[in-house]
Amino acid sequence: MTANAPLLELRDAVPSFEESGLMPAPYNLRIMPGECAVIDCRDFERAAMFADLCSGMISLTQGSIKFMGLDWSTLRDRQLNALRGRIGRISRSSSWLNLFGTHLNIMLPHLYHTTDPFDRVVLSATELGHRFGFPGLPTSTPDRLSGADLARAACVRAFVGRPDLLVLEDISDTLPEENILPFLEMMTAARDRGCGVLWFVRSAAAWHEYRKAVNIHMRLLDEGLFPMRVV
Amino acid sequence: MTDTPPLAPDHTAPQTNPFSGPQPDDAGRFVHLLRRFAPWLAAIGRLTRHQIRFTLLVIGAGWGTIRESLRPNSWRRPVIYEFRASLRQVVSGGFLSIVVTATLTGLMVVSQAAYWLGFAGMAQMTGSILVSVLVREISPILVGIILMGRSGMLSLTEIGMMVLGGEVRALQARGIDPFLALVMPRTFAFTLGGFTLGMIFAVVSLLMGFVIAHSTGAITTSVWTFFFNVLAAMTTWDYLIIPLKFVLVGFFVGLGSCISGLTVSSNDTMATIMPRGFARGIMLVLVVNVLFMLDF
Repeated sequence: MTANAPLLELRDAVPSFEESGLMPAPYNLRIMPGECAVIDCRDFERAAMFADLCSGMISLTQGSIKFMGLDWSTLRDRQLNALRGRIGRISRSSSWLNLFGTHLNIMLPHLYHTTDPFDRVVLSATELGHRFGFPGLPTSTPDRLSGADLARAACVRAFVGRPDLLVLEDISDTLPEENILPFLEMMTAARDRGCGVLWFVRSAAAWHEYRKAVNIHMRLLDEGLFPMRVV
Repeated sequence: MTDTPPLAPDHTAPQTNPFSGPQPDDAGRFVHLLRRFAPWLAAIGRLTRHQIRFTLLVIGAGWGTIRESLRPNSWRRPVIYEFRASLRQVVSGGFLSIVVTATLTGLMVVSQAAYWLGFAGMAQMTGSILVSVLVREISPILVGIILMGRSGMLSLTEIGMMVLGGEVRALQARGIDPFLALVMPRTFAFTLGGFTLGMIFAVVSLLMGFVIAHSTGAITTSVWTFFFNVLAAMTTWDYLIIPLKFVLVGFFVGLGSCISGLTVSSNDTMATIMPRGFARGIMLVLVVNVLFMLDF
């Protein structure tokens, strides 16, 4: 990735309708390192599909999507997976494996993509857990955790491992109020080291406190992605 | 004056529809026959394609599993963790069933073989009969069926539900390859588990058979002589073929379960996934055994 190159760039990207259900219209978006783009979208599933599109999981009929200067469509499986490992993601649903404890679910991407010592991964995940109000890392399986604890665990998992891009689906309805400030602090800290943020929100209330720090504001509708005025 | 344009002279000529009904000429008869049998042919074709698809999937995935396992960076920490967890499940989950089944099988086969061979004055053949019937033929099939029932169905259901629930897609979104994270470690856990359980089965069935036959007087030799006779009856090939059968049965049961789970469609439910997976698993167990029977 060259200096001053966009971190994530959608250039007239037209997603396959059969695969995604997204409107086959050209989508354009450009996020530079350290920038925060807020995407207003009332439909959770559409937001998740757009997040998948940005992660190179949906084939395109036209245009291109580049992450860290690399076009998703030109990469092979191993490269795709390695690049996706640079993305920290909060998903609203279906993202927890009940085969493992929540602590392993949190550390799984980091353990899979890096060779960092296990103790160091545990330490950094535990520190993040403390920030989000956990006494340590939850070891029970995800299906035994409350919605609030799962939302906190999702935050820990997204921020652990210093990702280059954060793709955050809206969990403001389940994240406890006392965790909103740590969430915004962690997001700001990540941006300070060059991480881009793609933040999906359902309502203005979810990002109201962070409004001044947002660089791009767009709305994802049935018809496509439309820029909004940033206040 | 009307808006309807006049028809061209060739449009007014009477039209014949080849699909409208039986025709007196050969072409018409052929079309009629085709119409009658087309749905049947389509159904047979669909079924054949479906069956070949799974066979090709198993061959491709089997090759992929072996190739990926040879790359050092395929064995990442979550993959190793999954391998250990699966191996623990396969061996500990199947252990009791294997011991009970082996005891019952040994009771039936060893005692009956010893009794009837002794009755026929062919007691010296007891070892070779037991090796060829019990250890080489029956054990791999029973071990495969137990592996399938105790652990294969579990893997199939887990992975199938993960696909339907979107968890596998969530793994992919985080850059975790489900083939590396789920299929490869589980397949090798089944392979190792198949060998382990197979060896336990062989030893327990022979031992329990000896105990029963000895207690009823059908066998009068010591346990060491009995096992010596069994080992002496084994050829060099048997030392290779018997473990290989256990290994391959485990490999294909594991692979078949994982692949069946990973390829479920959105229309599938538990009611369709489980019978299909079980039938495929049994088929794979029998195919492995039949192939060995043909060649050796």
